[in-house]
Amino acid sequence: MNCIKNNEFTVEEFIAESLEHINKVDEKLHAFLRINDLAIKKAKEIDAKIKSNQNVGRCYGMPISVKDNICMEGSKTTCASKVLENFIAPYTSTVISKLHSEDAIIIGKTNLDEFAMGLSTEFSAYGPSRNPWNNDCVPGGSSGGSGVSVAANECIASLGSDTGGSIRNPASFCSVVGLKPTYGLVSRYGLVSYANSIEQIGPMTKTVEDSAFLLNMISGIDPNDNTTIDNKNQDYLNNIDAGINGKKIGIVTEMTNSDGLSADVLDATNDSIKTFEKLGANCEQVSLQMVPYTVAAYYTITSTEAGSNLARYDNVRYGYELDSSGFEFNSYISQARSKLGPEVIRRMILGGFVPSAGHAGKYFLKALKVKSKLINEINYVFKKFDFLISPTVPIQPFKFGEKINDPVSFMMVDFNTVTANLTGIPAISVPYKITNGLPIGIQIMSNHLEEHSLLQAAYALEKTVDLPEVPA
Amino acid sequence: MDNLVNEEEISEVAKLMKIDLKDHSDHIKRVQKMLEYFDILDSANVESEEITIQEIDLDKLRNDEHIPYNKNLLKFLKSYKEKYVKAPKLN
Repeated sequence: MNCIKNNEFTVEEFIAESLEHINKVDEKLHAFLRINDLAIKKAKEIDAKIKSNQNVGRCYGMPISVKDNICMEGSKTTCASKVLENFIAPYTSTVISKLHSEDAIIIGKTNLDEFAMGLSTEFSAYGPSRNPWNNDCVPGGSSGGSGVSVAANECIASLGSDTGGSIRNPASFCSVVGLKPTYGLVSRYGLVSYANSIEQIGPMTKTVEDSAFLLNMISGIDPNDNTTIDNKNQDYLNNIDAGINGKKIGIVTEMTNSDGLSADVLDATNDSIKTFEKLGANCEQVSLQMVPYTVAAYYTITSTEAGSNLARYDNVRYGYELDSSGFEFNSYISQARSKLGPEVIRRMILGGFVPSAGHAGKYFLKALKVKSKLINEINYVFKKFDFLISPTVPIQPFKFGEKINDPVSFMMVDFNTVTANLTGIPAISVPYKITNGLPIGIQIMSNHLEEHSLLQAAYALEKTVDLPEVPA
Repeated sequence: MDNLVNEEEISEVAKLMKIDLKDHSDHIKRVQKMLEYFDILDSANVESEEITIQEIDLDKLRNDEHIPYNKNLLKFLKSYKEKYVKAPKLN
């Protein structure tokens, strides 16, 4: 951006170069589902503004990619599903409107697991994205395309959505920064709902400063989303280098000694604890007794909400061209839904089952009680600690096909991330180490609406590491 | 696991969700495995826990008023007459 401000090159030149780079690398990486045809036109408009000394928004033509479950008027929003293959969004999401008003350029829409249900992009109906650190490995998900697009320098930043770790997981797997804000801090208007009681839109960027910069623009009250919270015009960049001297950090015991935690990830986490201590923080173990139950609670609650939210894909309200002759009402809808992918089908079945009469007491109500107890535990520990830390993901990026056939081991990848969603607290993944050529991220969590200090802690950690560049 | 959910129950729910399992028979085993895992909730010891409900004040909700439909939306429809949408004809 500084190069553009200093007239070293124009926005159009920068966007053209970005598009050329995407063209060169994306055939292999498949971060994008489609490119915005209007990107160059928009770049020219911003150049004209600059030339005529008009006010230019803070993004100054910055190319930003957006996960393809966030609507932009007049362009396709597929949620990586065949059901929405030709769906053109009739309105623009609040987050994209805010970025447009700051002269950002939405360069394209990125790949995801179908309807954001998954953690590897293997469930995208249009094929998976590939991890730029090792093309045989998954990039994480569900915002995998967003993570890849930032890691592979196809854009400056991306917007993802995080229901159970869908921003932080690919951030960790691709070695970028990923922030899930406090529930309500960022408007969900225009985000295609999957589990609306816990999901949030957030930034994925190369640096912590860039995440703070984007959060400044996308947070705050939105009349179109009554769950939004006043951010009181906080400047998240202000004093971002304040450090964490004297801060109290809780190391979540259950997330650092779980069965699925890899030795390399544990090593990196222990190393990060030493780093936090060198920075002047006081670290000690803290137990959150509900954590072992959070994955089951998370999948129960989200499946229930998915069952309801996805009921609209019946080919009457949303759908695709399908001749109705020969069908009666129910069979027509069943036929239409046969285009939904396998994971979506499973979650819808689960979503019908766990809250149903006779089963709700065993599954759904118990999951809500786990959630309530977890919130109490979180409120209690944040009386003593400023931050909680853990590895973002218990394992490093895995090979394609390695976990997809075992639903339980697949779910357990979410073990460390779902707590922030169930409790609504903010959490960030910071790239910390590259081991055996693959990234490891550290997760920092803070109390509700403490993004400012959370970003300060993330910035302090980030400044201690010097990671290699992503392979070309 | 003592509470194994049977195939019939899952098939019945799938039917109610208007999902045809003819092409998705392997889903039942996977759903069963997930439900088996959910049995862990039985050991969470949360029976006496109150469920927290998020309350939103009425004055924070949008006013209950008519918003005229956006005529531009009609161009996205394949088939309509005036302001009426033609849905698939079903028996």
